Amino acid sequence: MNLASAKTPPRGFLNERLETMPRDRLARHQEAQLARIVEHAYERAPLIRQTWSRAGVTPKDVKSLAAFQDTAPFIDKDRVREFRDANNDPCGGLNTAAVGELKGVGSTSGTTGDPTPVPQGFRSPPEQSYLRDLWHIGARPGDYLANVMFTFRGGHRGRLMQEAGITPIYFSLSPFEMPRLCAASKQFRPTTLSMLSNPLLIALEQLFEKTGEDPKDVFRSYHGAIFGGEPLGDRLKNLVTSWGLELFETTSLGDVCGATECRAHDGMHAWEDIALVECLDPETDAPVADGKIGEMVITALTDRFMPLIRYRTDDLITLNRSPCICGRTHARIKLLGRKADQIIVQGKSVMPRDVLGVVENHSESRAGLFQIIRPQKQMDQLRVRVGYDPTRLKDAQTALAGRLTDDLAARIGVPVEVELSLDSELLKLGPPHKIPRVSKT
Amino acid sequence: MTTRSDDQPFVVGRYFAGGKAEFLPATRRELDRNAEAYARVISTCRFAPGRYALVVSLLEEAVQVAPLEQACIDLGLVVTNADASLYDAGRVESIIRRFDVACVFGVNAATLDGLKMFGHDAAKVLGSKTIWVRPDGYAAAKALPGVDVRRWIDIGPALGLECSDGAGAHIDGREWEIDERGGTIHLTSRLHRAAPFAAADTGLRGRHAAEPCSCGGPDPRIILEG
Repeated sequence: MNLASAKTPPRGFLNERLETMPRDRLARHQEAQLARIVEHAYERAPLIRQTWSRAGVTPKDVKSLAAFQDTAPFIDKDRVREFRDANNDPCGGLNTAAVGELKGVGSTSGTTGDPTPVPQGFRSPPEQSYLRDLWHIGARPGDYLANVMFTFRGGHRGRLMQEAGITPIYFSLSPFEMPRLCAASKQFRPTTLSMLSNPLLIALEQLFEKTGEDPKDVFRSYHGAIFGGEPLGDRLKNLVTSWGLELFETTSLGDVCGATECRAHDGMHAWEDIALVECLDPETDAPVADGKIGEMVITALTDRFMPLIRYRTDDLITLNRSPCICGRTHARIKLLGRKADQIIVQGKSVMPRDVLGVVENHSESRAGLFQIIRPQKQMDQLRVRVGYDPTRLKDAQTALAGRLTDDLAARIGVPVEVELSLDSELLKLGPPHKIPRVSKT
Repeated sequence: MTTRSDDQPFVVGRYFAGGKAEFLPATRRELDRNAEAYARVISTCRFAPGRYALVVSLLEEAVQVAPLEQACIDLGLVVTNADASLYDAGRVESIIRRFDVACVFGVNAATLDGLKMFGHDAAKVLGSKTIWVRPDGYAAAKALPGVDVRRWIDIGPALGLECSDGAGAHIDGREWEIDERGGTIHLTSRLHRAAPFAAADTGLRGRHAAEPCSCGGPDPRIILEG
């Protein structure tokens, strides 16, 4: 879907040779990178050394992609935390920087436990992947980029955008920053934005309703905006489309780098020269065919500070390696959700994004705040705590609960029980940018 | 395709004027100059290279904080970050628990409140480190036993940091001409900036201390009043 905009976005690749490399050549490139990164990690990352030694595998055994996929052992977040605690190593045995080489340590959001440290140099792999994505969306030298993010990802050490001639205007990832974002959009006329999230879109919606400001005028200079953090529901997607803004969904490849939609909006492109992406059956570890659901397993190919090797991400995805109409040859990912968030209700798989699509379509619960109550993975009934705005109630709470229950049951196809909670109460459960979508109680 | 001129800002951050947030563009040259000035102050504390500096800030403070991070890196410290927000106080505690943190920049009231909200004893978390605290958290931080507290002061577009001697926040004397007018600090930029300032009223009630500091640093100090 291409959205008409006042300004036609420029076309082209930041690095055409890499981005459109034929897949057989890309595979040979990956093999060469893999050989180097595996040796580097085995030599300098104690967790990798320990894991590979226990598996009886050395870098000499892994001289091809096929050999790597047959023999390389896995690591996951629990393993990293285990190593961290057993060895008092804050980076979980993955920091390979020599003394004096390390510039900074970013961290993950920490929504599933203690944040994971991410050792970094300058011009990190995520910066490199996002520069390509923003270039595709239409950022060019001399342009401004509205950059909305937390500091804990990489502090103020980013420089790759600027070196490419793109000036970031910085904002915290907070609903309270939306008036300033709108003001900057009109003053500087940025051409790209990274990134928006559900809470920020809700805040913008409320801001435009309150002020009467025309969102089409606010966003008229943008070729597009990156959206991430959670799945994007249809209601907000359609709303943003009506503002004249094209959204490009993004996800993280195991914290190695990003993967973002192109203009075809048919999956998020991984950058397979930065990360090796595997889609594996979570039970058997066998590769699954394109289009089938598997767990995303990531190997960092260029990160010499934190080389994750065969890192199980807990994310369920489908992979598509067929050519894309945008011209890129790198695989596309569709993200279904976290394995840990999956529940099975009477044999049927249910993920938080299945619930979001229903909840946000009711006016009272349009903020899309909810939690799946999941005391165990297998359940007879889907229990959902749904946030609502009392000022938007049309009738009794029980009537709203009834409508939500019926709608969820019809759309998802399982028995449902809905518990209502005020939006304001649900927001207390987490930071402003995200609430946990699954709760034991 | 437009080409970038040397004057194109490297970043656009923000500062406060009269209580209102204003955009603050800055060139790479300004940030490099600021880094040198901050390093002069931080080096008075003599942190051992290889230790960690935790910077508690917001992304829009890029013009003030990017050079601060660079100064720490130039002094051999490894920089890590948390948002200056209530919820990210949990991250502050986690980082300090796991890493060899020598110093913490930018602690504010939200950080201290957040530590309490998560059930942490701020004195235990921040003890034996040097912490630079913003005005809204300064009194509470000073009351914590065993915590070495220094001032972090936003002076309009500039950032003042106290040195090891703790007698006022140093501000880059090469970068800024400082006036006191009507009890508030006014700044005029001396060198080329993306956004120049001419006798800009920072709204900060303070005194400009031009006499030499016992830390040996060349830069003047701002001492808060009221």
